[in-house]
Amino acid sequence: MDSPAANAAFAKQINIKFPLLSDMNHKMLSSYGILKNYEKGGDSYQWAMRANIVIDKDGIIRHIETGDSAVDPNTAAAVCLDLHKKQAGK
Amino acid sequence: MKRLLASALLLASLPAITSISAQPQKKDEIAKLTLKVGDPAPDFTLLSDEWKTVKLSDYRGKQNVLLAVYVLAFTGG
Repeated sequence: MDSPAANAAFAKQINIKFPLLSDMNHKMLSSYGILKNYEKGGDSYQWAMRANIVIDKDGIIRHIETGDSAVDPNTAAAVCLDLHKKQAGK
Repeated sequence: MKRLLASALLLASLPAITSISAQPQKKDEIAKLTLKVGDPAPDFTLLSDEWKTVKLSDYRGKQNVLLAVYVLAFTGG
C-alpha cells in the first residue's frame, strides 16, 4: 500500500483537502475485510477492493459500497449529507 | 464537502507483492466484507500524508466519517 510520502506527493498534485491515509501493514484493510488475496505464477498478491464506507458520529457503519459502485463517491456523499441533516434536526 | 458535514478519509492503495508466498494461501481468495450496516466500525490508527496519526475513534461524537478506499487512485480512474 502507498507510503505516507507517496500519498503526500499525490495529495499535493491534486490538492486534496482531507487526510490521505496509508495502511502499510494492511491491518485496517484486513479488519474491514477489504483485502483480496490471490496467487499467480507462484507469487502472492494482495489488492484492496474499492470501497466507500460511511461511519456516523457514534462509530456505527451507516453505508457500505464495494467494487464498481464504489468508484463514484456521490452516493456515499449523499448518505453523509442525509445523516448530517437528520443529526442537525434532532 | 464541508468539513462540518463529514471528514473524508482516503486510503490510496497499490497492489502489493507480498513476501508471504511461503505461508499457506488460498488461491483466488475473494475478499468478503466482514462488516455490515449497523455494525460498529473497527477502530484503526493510520498515518496521513502529513505524517500525522489519524485514529477513527478521534472522530467519535464529533463528525461523521466517509472512508474511501481507492486502488490505483493516482490513475484518476
